[in-house]
Order: sequence, then C-alpha cells, then structure tokens
Amino acid sequence: MVEDEGIRLQDVSFRIGEFAIENLSFAVRSGEHFVLTGPNGAGKTVVVKLIAGLFQPTAGLILINGRPVTDLPPWGRNIGYVPQDGVLFPNRTVRENIGFGLEVRHRGRRAIHNEVKRAASMMDIEHLLDRMPRGLSGGERQKVSLARALVFKPSVLLLDEPVSAIDEEARDGLCRNLRSIQREAGVTTLHVSHNRKETALVADRVGVLVDGNLREMIESGSFSEVDASGNK
Amino acid sequence: MEGNPRRYGSGFDWLLAVPLIVYLLLIAGLITGVFATITRKAILEAFGEPALLHSIKLSIVTSVASTLLSVLVAIPAGYVLSRRRFPGHFLVDTLLDLPIVLPPLVMGLCVLIFFNTAVGRWLDRGVVEKGLFVYQPLGIVLVQFVVGCAFAVRVIKAGFDSLDPQYEEVAMTLGANRRQTFFKVILPNVVPSLVAGGVISWARIFGLFGPILLVCGTMRYRTEIMPTTIFLETSIGRIEVALVVGACMILISMTTLIVFKRLGGKGYLW
Repeated sequence: MVEDEGIRLQDVSFRIGEFAIENLSFAVRSGEHFVLTGPNGAGKTVVVKLIAGLFQPTAGLILINGRPVTDLPPWGRNIGYVPQDGVLFPNRTVRENIGFGLEVRHRGRRAIHNEVKRAASMMDIEHLLDRMPRGLSGGERQKVSLARALVFKPSVLLLDEPVSAIDEEARDGLCRNLRSIQREAGVTTLHVSHNRKETALVADRVGVLVDGNLREMIESGSFSEVDASGNK
Repeated sequence: MEGNPRRYGSGFDWLLAVPLIVYLLLIAGLITGVFATITRKAILEAFGEPALLHSIKLSIVTSVASTLLSVLVAIPAGYVLSRRRFPGHFLVDTLLDLPIVLPPLVMGLCVLIFFNTAVGRWLDRGVVEKGLFVYQPLGIVLVQFVVGCAFAVRVIKAGFDSLDPQYEEVAMTLGANRRQTFFKVILPNVVPSLVAGGVISWARIFGLFGPILLVCGTMRYRTEIMPTTIFLETSIGRIEVALVVGACMILISMTTLIVFKRLGGKGYLW
C-alpha cells in the first residue's frame, strides 16, 4: 500500500448475473482525476458501485485513503457520488438537495446555509437555489448534483458518466469547470467516461477496463490516442 | 398569435369518450334519484333520532381508525415487498391478494371462526370479560382493517415499485443511513401513493356491511354504523330514513375524496 493512494482496489472479485470481475487491482493516486474508460458492459459502473459500497465484493479489499472500507456501508465511507443523470431528490429544492449530505451529518442550520451557498457559488448555480429540480436543464441538474457531492468535503469523488446526458457545448464547459474545481479542492476523483474529448479535458490518468479487467493504464499526455472502446 | 395547439383527430377522442359519458350519466342519475326522493319530513325524522347521529359518528371514527391502521401497516409491508426478494415472496404476495379477491362476507366468517378458537377466545375475553371484539366497536375496526389493509398494501407497494432505487443509493452515498434514507428520501417521494392507498382502503372500509354484521351485529348505540342503519331501517320499512342515511354516506364520501385528492396531488388513482 503506497501512502499517497486515494483509492485502492486489491484483488477484488464480484459477480452479478452473467457479468464477473475477477481479482481486479488498481489504485487512484491521492488528489488525482482518474478516468475509467472502456466499452459498454466493461464493468465501469460496477467498479464505481463497489467503491461506493452499493455492491459488496465477494473477495478482495477496497481502501480509501489507506482505510479499509470493504465492509463499511455506503454512509460510512465519506464519498461524493454523482450518477449519470444527477438523480436529484424531486421533493427537495436545489438548496435542500445540496444541503442533504450536511443535514444527515447533523450540521447546524447556519453552517448548512453557508456551505450550500459556497458550493452553489463554486458551481455558478446560486440563482437556482430556490428552484425545484423538475424544471432544470441537464447541465443544471449535473451542476447541482456535483455541488451536492462536494459540499460535505468527501474523501473521494465518484463520477459515473456525469456529463453524458448533456449537449456537447455545455459538456465541454462543465468538464473545464469540473477540472478546475477538482484541482482546487484536491479531491481524489474516479470519473467514468467513454467520451474521448471529455477524457482528454479532465484526466490525469486513464484506466481502460475491458470485460471486468483493467487492460491498460495510460499516463497524462498520451490518452488522446484512446478511443471510446479503449483501443489505441 | 397565441392559442392552443391544434389537435388532430379530436373527433376520435370524442368517440372514445362516449362510454365515459354514458357511465357518468348513470352514476349521476342514480345519485340524483336518491336526493330527489328525500323529503323534508324524512330528514327531520332521521336526525330527530340520536341513534342516527351515533351511527354516523361511529362510522367515521371506526373507518378513520382502521384506515390509519391499514396505512401504518401498509407502509413497511409495501416497502419490504417492493424492495426485497425472500423465500416465499410469491406466496406472501398472493396471500395479500386474498382479502381483495374474497367476498367480504367470507372474510367476516373467517374472523368469526377465529374468535371461536382457543386463541381467539383468549384475545376476545382474556382481558375484558364482556369481550373486546365480538359484538364490540373494536371488532368493527378489526374487520374493517382485515378487509381494507390489503388494498392499502397493494397501492402503496406500487408507489415504492415506481420509485427509482437510485434515490436510495445516492442518499446512502451522501451519508444517510437506512433510517434517514427511508424518512427523508423514500417516504416523502411516495406521498401520493400513501394518500391513494389510504383513500382506496377507506373507500372499501366505509361501506363495509356484511362481515361487520356477522362479527359485531347491529346494536343501537353500540355497533350500529351507517351501512347497518340502512339495513335496519329498510328491514322495518322506513325507506325514507334509509335514503337520508344513504345520502349522508354519499356526501361524506364525496367530501373525503375531494379533500384527499387536493391533499395528495397527482396520485396513482387519479
């Protein structure tokens, strides 16, 4: 175990239906923006859910900042998770959505107010705070979801194709925004994507997952050669 | 210029609406018939008797109590049936449909038979000598609950089924434990189905007659509720008074449905 590792999977195995991951091992460096790419059905979302604690591995270890979390429930792992279409709680305003992670940690009302405002300002969505999620655009929903995942200062950020449902122009802007926020916050990030341009915009390093196996690790500077299927 | 967008083929929509119009005319005709037949004398006669007011009060109290009980049981039951698969799940699911499919009279008979067993007798007369359920108001609540709860479970389970499990997943990753996830995310997002479950259960319970007559009888000032009042008044030839009670039931049902619909927003039943 290297000290500067934000996330480590060690010989992790998991099976769901016909799909299986066998002895998967890789690490994401602390503060790094790591993109996991690969063809559809490669198991990218399964890996994210294993780290999030939504799936329980049949064997192996998962560590976050050196702490074993394999047997911890999702709420004990201090992770920020952004799924594909944001999944904002429809009964809560944007403000209440962003403050959710602080509310369940029993933070005071004033602290929640200030932190939510700060996170909203960071994502440039202060004007949306009193809106309900129903009328928001795809890009706005993802910004709210990102603010909600970052507001309680998670140990790691897990992004499961966070910009795939957004039009290209908005996607590039959000990716740049995401990149600068991630750098500023210094939060270890695992970002699932199968879009080459999105990968090039945000990644420090790229892992190519094929059939549940990590086929390749590509360092910064050379991943423009990687296509959506993980082929060079 | 602003205006409604043109709809093509609206003539076909009107054709499809014909059965609805026929059915509405039938219902409206039947209800109007009841109100048109009622005389001032019958109203004064009915409300001149404290027994009617007692039966109205008992009907409302017992139906509200058994509806609340049904919803309280249906929330956890519906959630478990919706989210968990366990050995015997299919059997449990089928058993829950029995009170919906079986004639209410058969359910009443089952309750009556149960109170003739050793366990039933102990439950009924073990604590209170005069009995807790058989020929008692509490028995009305029990029979209403036995029949009505299955309806609430069915509707509320459908609400949980249609709620995207991703809400729970995201809530848990954001730090909410199971209890917080259930009360802060899951329940608030199925409110329309809770209201709908309550309404459909209450609708079944409020007019229940046969099984209550079997288990609790119809004793004035004790176990007489509105449907049994109609039965009693009809059996002694006082049709006008029975009509007044029927009209009261229609008004209470209409008011309750309107209030519930306004409260529940867009639910599964409307």
